[in-house]
Amino acid sequence: MYNDLDPLLHSQLRLAVISILIGSEEADFVYLRKQTNASAGNLSVQIEKLREAGYITVIKDFKGRVPCTTCRITLKGVDAFEKYVKALQNYILIKK
Amino acid sequence: METQLNEKESLNLINEMISTARNNLQKGMGNIFLLWGYLVFAISLVNFILLVVLPQHVNHNSYFIWILMGLGYPVHYRLVTKIQIEKLVKTYVDKIMDQVWIAFSISIILVVIGMIGSSLLVMPAFTGVEKDFGFLHWFQWTLMTPFMLLLYGFALFISGKAYDFKPLVRGGIICWVASLFLILSVHHRYMPEIQQVTLAIASLFGFIIPGSILKKKEKENV
Repeated sequence: MYNDLDPLLHSQLRLAVISILIGSEEADFVYLRKQTNASAGNLSVQIEKLREAGYITVIKDFKGRVPCTTCRITLKGVDAFEKYVKALQNYILIKK
Repeated sequence: METQLNEKESLNLINEMISTARNNLQKGMGNIFLLWGYLVFAISLVNFILLVVLPQHVNHNSYFIWILMGLGYPVHYRLVTKIQIEKLVKTYVDKIMDQVWIAFSISIILVVIGMIGSSLLVMPAFTGVEKDFGFLHWFQWTLMTPFMLLLYGFALFISGKAYDFKPLVRGGIICWVASLFLILSVHHRYMPEIQQVTLAIASLFGFIIPGSILKKKEKENV
């Protein structure tokens, strides 16, 4: 029944990450972890999946001397998110 | 671990997450407003006092005190670096507002360069005209403060509206009113003194008050 929904986005943590990134220019790994309440390991795995799909870019850098990981959504990611929301809306309409 | 969602949970999650990165002013911005606010406030008041107490034929030299504004830049740089290190999320509004303030700084620098440049280059062509300000032509310098206040108003108003922070909007409007007031009073006998006091009041409402409120808010949110 969820055939039209992008399986990459139809998972709690990945959808949460993409939703945060769609509303911001960029977000730090620490911020994403705080907002999603996920463990660092799980979040890393899901971020890597989104990166491999080309939905986000991951920039590893330093803030002062502290290493930081910053994520940004790509155009492909925005497109996938829009399609996902549309599919979700269609599904709800059909259900009604 | 992957948790599957039903359609309702998906929509709720999207709504919840999208609203996380709210368009609040970045933490630490209060200090930047206070830094420039206090600097402009202090320098304009000292300039006013010097204009009043110094003999008239030399008191135009008191304007050189504005060189002290340069002291703000190293502190500003340190504060901005601190904000960038502590910042975990950057919203689109943050990105645009950063550019607005960069454009504001460029505009201010251009006004200063333009005024000094035209005074030095154009003045020799007008020898014999008004010489109250020594090598500086009075007309360009009397319009400099209103010009700056227009730019203050512009940047403060946009920031206030973008972040939905009313003290900045009010500060911006006060700077615009102050600018208009100074343009209208450009021929007043005590114009130089009026300009400095107006500038101090504008920096109080445009920068110091919003900066203090912002700092208080930052403390409450920690």
